[in-house]
Amino acid sequence: MSRNLQRLKSWEGVLLLILVATIILNSTLAPSYLRVGNWINLFELSIEKIIVALAMTFIIINAEIDLSVASTMGLTAGVLAWLHMQGAPFPLAVIAALLMGVIAGAFNGFWIAYAGLPSLVVTLATMIMYRGGARILLEDRSIGEFPAWFSHLGQQPMVGPLPFALILFFALTILAIVVLHYSGFGRYVYVIGNNRDVAEYSGVKVRRVKMILFIVSGTAAALAGVLFAARLGAVRGDLANGFELDIITMVLLGGVSIFGGRGSMGGVLLSILIVLNLRNGMSLLNLTGHLQSGVIGVLLILSVLIPNMAAGVQGWLHRRRQAKIVHET
Amino acid sequence: MTTGQTPVMEIRHVFKRFDATQALDDVSLILYPGEVHALIGENGAGKSTLIKIMTGIHRPDQGELLLDDEPIEVHNSQEAQGYGIAAIYQEPMVFPDLNVAENIFISHRTFGPIVRWKQMYREAERILTQLDVKLDVRQPARGLTLAAQQAVEIAKAISLQVRVLIMDEPTASLSAHEVRQLFNIVDALKEQGVAILFIGHRLEEVFEIGDRITVLRDGKWISSTPRAQVTADAIIRDMVGRKVEDFFVKSQTESGERLLSVHGLGKEGVFQDINFDIHQGEVLGFAGLVGSRRTDVGLALFGIEQADEGQIIFDGQERKIGSPQQALDLGIAYMSEDRRKLGLVMPMSITTNISLPTLKNYLSSLGLIKHKDEMATAEHFREELTIRSPSVEVEVEKLSGGNQQKVMLSKWLNANPKLLILDEPTRGIDVGAKADVHHLVNDLAAQGIAIILISSDLPEVLAMSDRVLVMREGRQMGVFTRDEATQEVVMTAAMGQNHAKNQTVVETRA
Repeated sequence: MSRNLQRLKSWEGVLLLILVATIILNSTLAPSYLRVGNWINLFELSIEKIIVALAMTFIIINAEIDLSVASTMGLTAGVLAWLHMQGAPFPLAVIAALLMGVIAGAFNGFWIAYAGLPSLVVTLATMIMYRGGARILLEDRSIGEFPAWFSHLGQQPMVGPLPFALILFFALTILAIVVLHYSGFGRYVYVIGNNRDVAEYSGVKVRRVKMILFIVSGTAAALAGVLFAARLGAVRGDLANGFELDIITMVLLGGVSIFGGRGSMGGVLLSILIVLNLRNGMSLLNLTGHLQSGVIGVLLILSVLIPNMAAGVQGWLHRRRQAKIVHET
Repeated sequence: MTTGQTPVMEIRHVFKRFDATQALDDVSLILYPGEVHALIGENGAGKSTLIKIMTGIHRPDQGELLLDDEPIEVHNSQEAQGYGIAAIYQEPMVFPDLNVAENIFISHRTFGPIVRWKQMYREAERILTQLDVKLDVRQPARGLTLAAQQAVEIAKAISLQVRVLIMDEPTASLSAHEVRQLFNIVDALKEQGVAILFIGHRLEEVFEIGDRITVLRDGKWISSTPRAQVTADAIIRDMVGRKVEDFFVKSQTESGERLLSVHGLGKEGVFQDINFDIHQGEVLGFAGLVGSRRTDVGLALFGIEQADEGQIIFDGQERKIGSPQQALDLGIAYMSEDRRKLGLVMPMSITTNISLPTLKNYLSSLGLIKHKDEMATAEHFREELTIRSPSVEVEVEKLSGGNQQKVMLSKWLNANPKLLILDEPTRGIDVGAKADVHHLVNDLAAQGIAIILISSDLPEVLAMSDRVLVMREGRQMGVFTRDEATQEVVMTAAMGQNHAKNQTVVETRA
């Protein structure tokens, strides 16, 4: 794995440098920046996207994509709010919302894994469908007045200063690292992402792996949708609209190859930290949201460019060395 | 008929090497106008490389191409087209949504920025009439038969003023009737003075259409004979002239109990009526030319392409093999001929590749990989099979072809198969690695593993196999014992010539 690892490491090194630079810059700009409270706040504002990004990392390493995640968040939060409005017991509504996520993911997974359709098309279609579902359920209303315990879950610290969502994030991150990098399932994810045919010819149950991944993605999106509802205290049909692009950006910026087979959880976590801190820093500098997005966009292009350029330079050096050897002998 | 004429194209002393293989080794050819030059040879004889050099896809390492006695350099197919050199293949390359006339004139820019449809249709009709082909030029190419698509491609070549037309096994997927039509077109082309290089694999066709027949073998020019002087026996002898004695020969082993019987195995449109037995410790060779569908039979036994008729009896029980997992559970492993696409995950480590089919054996109860265990396995095979690599954590893409082949063998041996199907296990690897593979096959058979050896390398099949099954175009032409299987007998069966006693030994021993 050494060359890819090197390639990755080179990008992860760049990420680390950017992160350190951002942190230093931010702390000089605002002394309050380094406080724990600010960091928790930072995470809390994007926690839903981050949770979905963990699942998205698996999907993209598997050489697929899931564009429907934000719509799934909207749909599941919509189911939750709608059931609440209908007077259903709230815990039941939460379970139904999560179940909706499983179904949404399984629906994607069926067409992709078993019918063999490209995930880009399937999830583009369900992105529109699921969003439509949310809007049909809620129309133009904003549904709120959730039980106090639910709103507390989203807004109040639970253990020490940490809110529930953050604790969940830590747990899920550890789980994601272990599964992706240390389990047999994670190995299959990489192998299929690199070469689906070899996996099939080696007896790997490729379809099942893909099906599981999309169910996990749908479930993570449902979890994120419910958490988002708890944090906002109200749900509308357009909840989380457009989040899928931020989520995919986080994953790709972390050095995961859009062609599959390459990338690591570590890189994605670094890129998440960078996106959070960079936006925070740029806000401190009073840069507009649009300009912030522009900067993130440039970084994303660099994330694709730099590893390729590094490989190019490496290849060039290698060829020159070879030529020299041939010349000398 | 051609003596005294000036050649259109000449290929002089061309050499081409790819890694370990000398694909072309001093090949020369002369093409005359109005002559069909048939080119024939085993798989890997260098026919395709020669075409690719003529059409500019590859450059020769040495040697030159001459057109009208002028040396030319061809860098790509556009340039080849400019010189009047065109090729048509087994699978025609037409644009399905364009109509016949549009396909014929696809590479023309002479009609100016605005399409003059009437003129184009008229011109297309004229060319097709010339070829004596009846096609509606306004019909979309989608839905045309293969033969009609080929006619369109030939018309396209004519519209470009073709002088040398290369036809690469154009008859492989055609019916007898369509072959007849194609040959009529070829006759029409001859009359127009086009030089034709016809690559064929059916002897009778080559004899019918070729004015001169050239045999290549192992990248070398062997013979060029005018049709009048040629005999089937002579051609086959030229094609197979390599010596079996150069090979390591499998030692005779007592084969054990019957492991697998296949009865009337068939798959619609792919292969049919395949019958054979294989015993423990036996090597059954599968010989045949390109398109003989040997690989498809292998894939059917491995559950990748399911057969739709016939019986597979494995270990005394009838089995339906629906997936590679099922095959692996039964103890059947299949090592693909395509290392890069189907055999190995190139950017991943030796360890990862070896443990892939058997990863379940390396998982803890929590589903986590016991990395030390899988590395120990990889280390074991690295020593056993002398895989040259500094560590088992190196990506396989960094290894030589021979060492990659050994990694692939390790991967399947580690699954402890009872039946191992090896598809072209020595293709494209160097002599040393080849010998290692041969010794390994010998050892495996001695341990009681049954081996199906699919190989296009005829001396290899003959040296390594206890019996040889010969296929041709999806049909089983015969099963020959080691004593019966000479190169001539096997090649004759593979070429579909009937004078050998190929049908007499179809029944395998009980």
